[in-house]
Amino acid sequence: MAEWTADEILDARGLSCPMPILKTKKIMKKLSPGQILEIQGTDPGTRNDLPAFTERSGDEFLGEEQKDGYISFYVKKG
Amino acid sequence: MSVLVEKFKEGYSLLFDRNWPLWVGGILLALLGIICMAAGRPWGVAGGLRVWSDWLFYWIGLYPTAPGYAFFLSNTSILTWGLLFGAFGAALLSRQFAWRNAPRWELGKGLVGGVFMGVGSVMAGGCNVGGFYTALAAGSVSGFAMMAGLLVGALIGLKYLMWEIEHIDMKPPKQKASKEGGIEWPKVQPWLGALFFLFLVGWAYCLSFRAYTQEAVLMLAAVGIGIVIQRCRFCFVRSFRDPFMTGEAVATRAVALSVILSVFGFFAIKWFRTDWQMIYIYHHWIGGLVGGVIFGIGMLLAGGCGSGSVWRAGEGQFKLILAVITFSMSNSLFKNYVWTRDVASSWGKPIFLPMVTDYFWAIVITAVVMLVWWAIMAWNEETDSLTIV
Repeated sequence: MAEWTADEILDARGLSCPMPILKTKKIMKKLSPGQILEIQGTDPGTRNDLPAFTERSGDEFLGEEQKDGYISFYVKKG
Repeated sequence: MSVLVEKFKEGYSLLFDRNWPLWVGGILLALLGIICMAAGRPWGVAGGLRVWSDWLFYWIGLYPTAPGYAFFLSNTSILTWGLLFGAFGAALLSRQFAWRNAPRWELGKGLVGGVFMGVGSVMAGGCNVGGFYTALAAGSVSGFAMMAGLLVGALIGLKYLMWEIEHIDMKPPKQKASKEGGIEWPKVQPWLGALFFLFLVGWAYCLSFRAYTQEAVLMLAAVGIGIVIQRCRFCFVRSFRDPFMTGEAVATRAVALSVILSVFGFFAIKWFRTDWQMIYIYHHWIGGLVGGVIFGIGMLLAGGCGSGSVWRAGEGQFKLILAVITFSMSNSLFKNYVWTRDVASSWGKPIFLPMVTDYFWAIVITAVVMLVWWAIMAWNEETDSLTIV
């Protein structure tokens, strides 16, 4: 069971750097504070890039969950 | 005993679970790059890629004469093989090797990006390693030209990516459901990686016995570069792209630091070996600028530059494997075209910076340019003034 419930899902499976971050940045602009975005990805770089991104953007990186064949990352709009 | 095992696990996790900081990569790359220079062949990526296609096109009968350098053991080729091997082994040790497919459109971007990079690197005298990073360290004025070109190219490429997000819809590739039972790859990978590295070291040792000592040194240095670059996820593209994209300048700082460190090592060697002064000095001044723009667009499309595409290919990313292949082919074809028509002479003269100023001021100038780049991007990190996304 997912620990967080997402308001919006970004399917970035199969995409490699920088597309997951670029798309995340774009979607985050549309969300209102407190809403949660789930990013589904397969690129190993996202693991570092996403927390680094949220640290700068003022959003909150909630955590990640290993799914079948991909990882879900959860970010809360700050 | 159990304490030792515990400590080993801690150390292993530090090295192969978490990524190393980028600045550590910057310092280590400078060191390994200086070792390559000391061995007589500075680090580059495009040259090695070209050798592979030169042979391929000779074998299929497109080129009439055989290339003058060996497919495997020429010193350019061995550097790129080493990079690929090192990244592959490091990906295994960190359990990160996986066959990664990408949406069709992405694969197309890999193919096209590779062609742009192949052509751009011929004009600039190397990819962003050989044409910018190593060129600056070696005192080639063309390195500054390529740097300017890369910045422009990165901006154009990023503009395209933003357009693409609005207009192109991509479906994720089909995922294979993980099978029950079978081999547990995550557990096996570190063992395979360790075996692979043992094999490489043994092989280098054998090479040195057969009077291929220079090649053995270069291969081990390049394997080291591959490990560092995979573990840091060190990416030259990021140093040019990220300030415009997320505002982040971590990669920019790491590359600037690395260039400054390299200059000292390279110049020390060139100071003592005057016959090596013109190593890695290109006549491509205009070529650096124009080639830099073309290369910059290509690396944004592919999502990896020369080194970045190769190490990601070593990690099993299909899009980057395609980019490496078209990079190699287009570089070979375009270089062949340029050589047979003598077009390159109009691209500028080779200038060794210390011959124009002297060694001292050449170091100062290079360091100042790097620090200004660093400072502008650090300022942008706070203000987001240059960020266009």
